[in-house]
Amino acid sequence: MSEPRLYPGTGPDERTSFTPYGAFEVPADLRELFGRFDVEATARRVRNFRYAEEWIMLTLGGWLATIPEVPVKTGLGKIIWESAQAADAFGKRLPELRCGRAAVAASQPSNAGFAGLIQAIAEPERPDLTIEKLAGAFDVLKPHLLAVYERTARETDPITDAPTIEILEDVMRRTRRHVAWGDEVLERLCDTDGRRERRRRRVVELRAALEACGGVTGALGDEALQAQ
Amino acid sequence: MRRFIHHSELARDSRFVRQDNAQATVLSQLPDDVNAVVEVFDRFAPAIERAVKGTAAEPLFEAYGPGFALVTLNEPLRPGDPAAKTRLMLRMHGIYVGELQALEGAGRSLWDFPEAPWEFKLNMARQCWDEARHVQIYEKLLEHVGGSPGMFPESTFLFECACSDDPAMRVAGVNRGLEGLACDVFRDMIRYAEQIGDEKMRQAIDYVLADELTHVRFGSEWVKEFTKDDPEHFKRTQEFRKQVDKQFSFGGARSDREDAAIPIAWQDRKEAGFTDDELTELLAISGGGPSKQTLLSAAKILRERHLARREAGSERAT
Repeated sequence: MSEPRLYPGTGPDERTSFTPYGAFEVPADLRELFGRFDVEATARRVRNFRYAEEWIMLTLGGWLATIPEVPVKTGLGKIIWESAQAADAFGKRLPELRCGRAAVAASQPSNAGFAGLIQAIAEPERPDLTIEKLAGAFDVLKPHLLAVYERTARETDPITDAPTIEILEDVMRRTRRHVAWGDEVLERLCDTDGRRERRRRRVVELRAALEACGGVTGALGDEALQAQ
Repeated sequence: MRRFIHHSELARDSRFVRQDNAQATVLSQLPDDVNAVVEVFDRFAPAIERAVKGTAAEPLFEAYGPGFALVTLNEPLRPGDPAAKTRLMLRMHGIYVGELQALEGAGRSLWDFPEAPWEFKLNMARQCWDEARHVQIYEKLLEHVGGSPGMFPESTFLFECACSDDPAMRVAGVNRGLEGLACDVFRDMIRYAEQIGDEKMRQAIDYVLADELTHVRFGSEWVKEFTKDDPEHFKRTQEFRKQVDKQFSFGGARSDREDAAIPIAWQDRKEAGFTDDELTELLAISGGGPSKQTLLSAAKILRERHLARREAGSERAT
């Protein structure tokens, strides 16, 4: 009797004696191929995400000097770094999505409306406008990004686009923390009816602009409809 | 939001009191002449008195007159010296507000230069987090030595001098001038913590110093990058750094002179990327200005005049 072959030959009579084994079967791999976004669509979204994270980082950096509350300044310091890391991770994914090696620093708004929204969020400057600053970033923009990241991670192909999901999971974990921090700070700052009203007004105004432009991907309405 | 803000726009809560920056600028330009020092501080006396009113520095002003800073700034920190605790709190508070301004400077480098290369922004974002932690660390150390934020007036001199509108000069000013000064001050504080056996202070400041070396390295690399292929720009940037180094030497208080309150941390600076030539130049720049003897003589005259004015005032009142 000949020795068992280690590698199969070309003919059907030359199969090895090894039993088929798939790592994904223990436990059974229930994931299915196909997601909502193809390579180009994912690349576009990642560029949009990078744009949002980069501008959050720049805006919060500018505000550090104009916010009088010291614990807010120091809290923002860490969020700036984590937003920068998010933008960096999105940028590094772009060359893997056929965007070329130079794409690591490529940011792109979904449309002029979203770029305008970012500028509107960054507009408050005076030291007595901490509520307006934080409400824009932590009541409107970051929760919106979190929702879109969650939807993207859920709806993209879980196998072919797994590297994007890995990045999103890390960014979502931090963004949830940022939103909770912002909410806690705003709750403290808004200790009168007048201040609570300022927060509410700012949120209403910016959410309207967000819905009008379609959000970070420019397709807020379409995606919501498809999700239903 | 506008790009490039004035140092007077740095936002503070109600605990903080602002000090006129002119005093620090003048201090860096004083000659080694007792009468000139006395004349300048006498001229600033009303502004200094206004700035310290209601702060922990008010008793120092009452005891020593407008020249109290000459004593507090120009004497090395030594355990057991008279007013050692007040001077330690004063220095710790100065570092705390310096870290606040470094945090604001790093943040403004992000906002003021949106077209800068991504790696630069990444470095500045990291620096924001580091400086934010330094503010938290020094707030705790300030409380550890019995102080609190806002107990002394704050000069925004560091932000004013370091924050240029040109990115190469900004990193030269903030990352090499301001952070280089931080290396000198922190090494001195570590020495002090070792002398008094304060392990908590020693360990915390040692970590902060490690961060500062990284920030100086950011500066060294980005000055090169922003001025590559432009020797004239590089030259102007070096001139700006020298000017900042001169201002941050506080008339020789930070220098390698024997009587300096804060010696230059030569080894730390070398590790951070300063060249031997730059350090030799820094020794020459920082060593000028009035000697310690000149400052102490001036402080004595200022104190006598101050007490005489106080006595005359109380006689008029009665």
